Formats: sequence, C-alpha cells, structure tokens
Amino acid sequence: MMDRQAQLRWFAREVLPHEPDLRKWLGGRVRGLSSCDVDEVVQEAYARLWVAEADAIRSPRAYLFVTARHIVGEHIRRSRIVAIDLVADLDTLNIIDEEISVHRRLSAQEELARLYEILQTLPPKCRQAFELKKFQDFSQRRIAEHMGIAESTVEKHLSKALRLVSEAMKQAPSGAEDGRHRERRFWKWG
Amino acid sequence: MEDIVSAGSGNGAEIDARASAWAVRSAERPLDPVEQCELDAWLEEDSRHLGAFVRAEALWLDIDRIAALDSGTRRETPPPARQHRWQSYAMAASIAVAMVGGMIAYDRLAGRIATERSEVRRIALDDGSVVTLNGDSAIQVRYSADSRQIILRRGEASFKVAHNAQRPFVVSADGLKVRAVGTEFAVGIEESGIEVTVEEGVVAVGDGANASAQPRYIRRNEQFVAAETGPRKVVLDAADVERRTAWRKGLLVFDGQQLGAAAAEVNRYSDLRVVIEDPTLARAEFMGIFKLGDARAFAGAAARAFNGEVIRRGDELILVRQQNSPSH
Repeated sequence: MMDRQAQLRWFAREVLPHEPDLRKWLGGRVRGLSSCDVDEVVQEAYARLWVAEADAIRSPRAYLFVTARHIVGEHIRRSRIVAIDLVADLDTLNIIDEEISVHRRLSAQEELARLYEILQTLPPKCRQAFELKKFQDFSQRRIAEHMGIAESTVEKHLSKALRLVSEAMKQAPSGAEDGRHRERRFWKWG
Repeated sequence: MEDIVSAGSGNGAEIDARASAWAVRSAERPLDPVEQCELDAWLEEDSRHLGAFVRAEALWLDIDRIAALDSGTRRETPPPARQHRWQSYAMAASIAVAMVGGMIAYDRLAGRIATERSEVRRIALDDGSVVTLNGDSAIQVRYSADSRQIILRRGEASFKVAHNAQRPFVVSADGLKVRAVGTEFAVGIEESGIEVTVEEGVVAVGDGANASAQPRYIRRNEQFVAAETGPRKVVLDAADVERRTAWRKGLLVFDGQQLGAAAAEVNRYSDLRVVIEDPTLARAEFMGIFKLGDARAFAGAAARAFNGEVIRRGDELILVRQQNSPSH
C-alpha cells in the first residue's frame, strides 16, 4: 500500500499523461457527449482509479480507458431517452484497439517546454506567483511579501494558475518542437 | 439530448476550480479541522469531486517534478534582492562554532530541499557528501550512477564533497557549472551575480550553456564571481573565507559592530524584523552572541544594553531609547 504522496506521484506519472488521449477517444467515439460531459466521465474515472489498488493495476492506460467506457455505458443504460446513434456508438466503445496501447512519453525537454508554453498564457500576476512557488520554492507567505499582496490573494492566484494549467493539460501538447525558449542570463561569461 | 452523466452538483469546470483551490491549500499547509470537514463534505457529495481533487493534487505535485527538470537557466523571475551580502559579512559578524540541529534526510523522490529564512540546514547525501543550506535557499539533488548533480535554485549552499572521481560532483546555478571531485566550496546566487568560494581543494567553473568554453580553476581561498559586468576572481585570506562561509555554524557574534549593521545581519535570518529608527542608537557599538534567527533575543539584549525598550508592531520589533521626557 502506497502512502498518499506516493500514490499521487504514481497517478501523475502513470495516469495523467493519458488524459488527452482519453478525452480525444471519448469525444470521437461518443457523439452525444459534449465537452462538459467528457469532463464528468474523466472525473468519475479518476475517482474510481484512485480507490482501486494501484499496485494491482498492470496497465494504468488500459485500466483508465476501460473504466471510462464502463462509466459511459452505465449512464447510457440509466438514462431514459437515448439517441439511436449513441447506442450504436456504445458498441464501438467496446473496441479497445491499438490506439490505446500506443503512447509515447514526453521527454523531459518536451515536458518543460510544454509547461513554459502554458505559463505564457497565464495572467502576469498569476504566472509570477506560480513561478515563485514552483521554480523558487517560496512559501505563500514569502510570495505575498515579495509581490506586496495579501497571502489570501496569493492563494487565489495559485489556484487559478493550477486550474488554467490543468485545463491546458487536457489537450495534447501542441508542437513540442517549436517550444524553444530564450535563455535568460544574469551574468556574462568571459 | 439529455445529460447522459447524471447532473451532479456543478459542471466539470466549476468542480475543477474548487478542486484546484483545495489542492493548492492542502499542499501549502495542513488543513485546520474546519477546513478538513469542509473538504471531506465536498468530497462525499459526489465521486466526481474526488476525481477532480486527486487530479488537481497529482498535477500540482507533478509540476514540482517538471520544474525540477529545469536546470536554472530558464528562470524568469529573478530572486529577491539580498543586498550586499559579502559587504555585510565583512563589516558585521565574526562567528563562533556551534551547530544548530542535526543532520536531516531529504525527500529522495523529489530531491528538493528548501529552507525558510530563519533556518540553516545540514543535509547528509547518499554518497557521504554534506550540504549546508543557508536561510531562504533551495536546491535540487539529482544523483545518478555516473554523476552527482545539484541545482542551486536560490540563495546559498556550501558543499563538502566526498571524493569519487568516477562520479563528478557538479553544482549548477543559473547556467554556471561548478565541478568538483573532493573539496569544500560554497555557491551563492546574489543580486550582483553568482559567487563561488573555495575553502579546500580546487573546483572547475564552467559555462553550462557553452561546453566548449575553457573552465576556470578556482583554488583554496579564492572566490569567483560571475557577474553581469563579466567574471572576476578574488583572492581572499583564510579569515575572509571563514567569515564568508560562517553562517553554516549557526551563530552570529557581534564584537563591536554598529547596532544598525548588526540588526541588518540578524534580520537576514528572521521573519521578525528588528527596526532601529533612531540614528544615534543605530551607530552605537554592540557586542553579543546570538543564535541565527533569534531576533527577539537580539532586540532584548540591545534594549538592555542601551537602556531602551522593544515595541512590537506586527512583524517588527522596534528598538527605541526610553523617553526621559514625561510630557511624552
């Protein structure tokens, strides 16, 4: 049994990277699902995965897809009015094909580039608070001092930053290749 | 089309927003009992809340890992000013030998160690090397089979490196790479640049972004400064070096320094700030020995020494002379 931190790390490493694919897969297979409903299926799937015994899950990716499929199936069966095409789609949901087994992990460079790319889209204060927190290891209190704002405002900025980053992470990274960044130096070599 | 997933409380986006807020707060500090109840109640309401919450928590935690992949060259926000570090050392304390606290283990998974302002911490690494982290500093430890890498993210750290020629010990700070095999040295990210001070042995300092540049060798009792105006090498005497790396020993000793300068030194390590508004008092010569971070003891001792008193105002300890005038 893993402790909570270890389980969260496992979740981050083994489950979260598959979310963009899962969303694409859900969105493509089930025409009746609006994007909001995809959110709900993903949240429900995560809840189930979280309470499952992580050690026993051989392929988190397949487990995630199958769980999501179950959830969609349950809800379709439960609802009284079901569009015909949705029922038809449910059959195709049963096919867990190669696309599920195909997954390439992002390299460290790509992961960083992606995070930087997302950070560019954050509002300035939000981004500053986030960078002080995550790149400089500041406590919220120190961020508040440094930025000259209330600690509660710092928490709001950070929550918003996390929400925006998490929103962006729902999509697969866009063109990781052009994510090169200006290197900023504070000193000069000979 | 009817909502095929039962219409629970709130839509996906609203749930994500609340989940993010809870994840940020619970990562910052333990929740108080009222908050814990509130969170538990919210999680009970709908299993989707749990799903969103663990997602937010996992992501928030994982960003630390991603941030750690950054070797410091891409930092966008400059560290806060720690002005005139060496100057203040030179004029202020000579420091007595005493260690505060013992060795602590670090989080092996994340390899991150950060100190609060009032804290100096010694950390034993797996290979037998020892890192001492100054107040308000952070490092990242990345050990592999063939290298020992430390990233200094902010502040200052000193290293006593266990000898192992097969696994070079490399400290990077803002793109500067300091390579050592077995030696003692300190690296600090200062307002004015990056400073490398060598106490024992030799280190090679190189430009991390330009591997072909010739490294510079810095020897015992030498200091290298990579600054905006270009690099320079400073030769120090042994006493200088001792003073400059003396924060590791955990005590501040004042031996006739001006009270104002002494207070500034004390304040570097304390969340409570000692403030002296009276210029005459600030120039008074002061003697005393204090634990790093103990601003209260310092203010109390100074008040006793100069027949003054300490007034607490928020995070400030204001040192004033006792008023003789009864009209006041």
